[in-house]
Amino acid sequence: MKRLMLSVSSAMRSAVIGLFAVMMVAGAASARAQATPEALIEQVGSQLLKIVKTDTAVQRGELPALLKVVDENVLPYVDFEKTTRLAAGRHWRQATEAQRQSLINEFRMTLVRTYSGAVSQVKQDTRIELRPARYAADATDVVVRTQILQSAGEPIQVDYRLEKQSQGWKIYDVNVMGIWLIENYRNQFSQEIGQHGFDGLIKSLATRNQSFAQAR
Amino acid sequence: MIKKLLAPAVLAAVLSGCASTSTTGQANNNDPFEGFNRSMFRFNESVDRAVLKPVAQGYVDVVPEGARSCIGNMFGNLGDVWSMMNMFLQNRAPDGINSMFRVLFNSTLGVFGCFDLAAQNGLPRNKADFGQTLGVWGVGSGPYLVLPLLGPSTIRDTAGLAGDFVFDPVSIGQINDHATRYGLYGLKFTDKRAQYLGAETFLYDVSLDPYAFTRDAYLQRRASLIRTGREMDDDEASLPVYEDPDDEPAPVPAAQ
Repeated sequence: MKRLMLSVSSAMRSAVIGLFAVMMVAGAASARAQATPEALIEQVGSQLLKIVKTDTAVQRGELPALLKVVDENVLPYVDFEKTTRLAAGRHWRQATEAQRQSLINEFRMTLVRTYSGAVSQVKQDTRIELRPARYAADATDVVVRTQILQSAGEPIQVDYRLEKQSQGWKIYDVNVMGIWLIENYRNQFSQEIGQHGFDGLIKSLATRNQSFAQAR
Repeated sequence: MIKKLLAPAVLAAVLSGCASTSTTGQANNNDPFEGFNRSMFRFNESVDRAVLKPVAQGYVDVVPEGARSCIGNMFGNLGDVWSMMNMFLQNRAPDGINSMFRVLFNSTLGVFGCFDLAAQNGLPRNKADFGQTLGVWGVGSGPYLVLPLLGPSTIRDTAGLAGDFVFDPVSIGQINDHATRYGLYGLKFTDKRAQYLGAETFLYDVSLDPYAFTRDAYLQRRASLIRTGREMDDDEASLPVYEDPDDEPAPVPAAQ
């Protein structure tokens, strides 16, 4: 039972905090085009942490407030199309443009729901610290390592995977305590598409999103 | 006594049984027992709903927060001793020494571990267990296995659990008095469960298939802990490789 609780709940908790961390990272409004990936992550992370610590609607996990924060502060720094595409894997190729767009939207909403519970876990002393990383100076696909610290509780390792694109660095995957977001959704997506098709996957996510919005 | 004799046998069985699995640390979905595992997963969830969760809720309602924090910290402090030993077994002396300082500090100034003063002074808890140690030594994970009540595991981690149970010098299992031993087990697990009240709905909110979500998260997390144990954390080779459907040529329609 100890293991059950430990691993299931640490996985759950990690996922919540991690997705929230994606948002934190992506949050800053003024990312400099020339910034290193670390500088980007650090600046954005502290900016978003500040929003969560001061905005009471966000703290209460109110859906419209959260969506606004995500749209304005997160999505500009995330290649969410790539995240969804990699999670869908080979099935992506058979999907129409409309199907792809629906999947992107429903998946985004799923992730917003996921971290809506995490914002309440942010305390006034929560802070983000960079951990040392190694990559070649000309690398175009890098991992930035951080940890989230607070006075009580264990540090939470959160890593971000970024790709250098023409508009600058974009986040496309996040790792919380050893668990990569895309890797964790890939099997479930593939399973759902295998059983119910691409539309089945979209519908399945949409149903969960709707019942969540109504429960609010 | 019998426990001490059994341990090497269990260990040997495991070492020979799953040495063939990959040791790259990359999570794979090695789940040949999926049918069994899924029913065990459902069983564990029903037990949780019917018994464990209500008990934990009652514990939170009755015991004040300060006392719960003290109880959790004391179990954590005892756990740090075994974590420390595993870090040394994994050849991670600096981490082991950090854990040793935690135990010394918290057991004295922290009043028998009641307060986690070490964490408040910049020395947070870092856990290690025997399943991880086996992994660091090169034992492959073997298939994924959902244990009754204990939940997600692998063949290797189940053996590790047996190792935790038998070798941990300050584990509850070393207490001979039955009433005390089972009382403490009950308290420890209730306390642990209470820390995660409210988390269970989350699994159903965010996953399409809670079983697969839990399995994949567990396997990835364990693989990552073993990389940490081997100090391979920075190894780019451990990154997941995703096939990008956009990078490949579109399927060519078959010629008539």
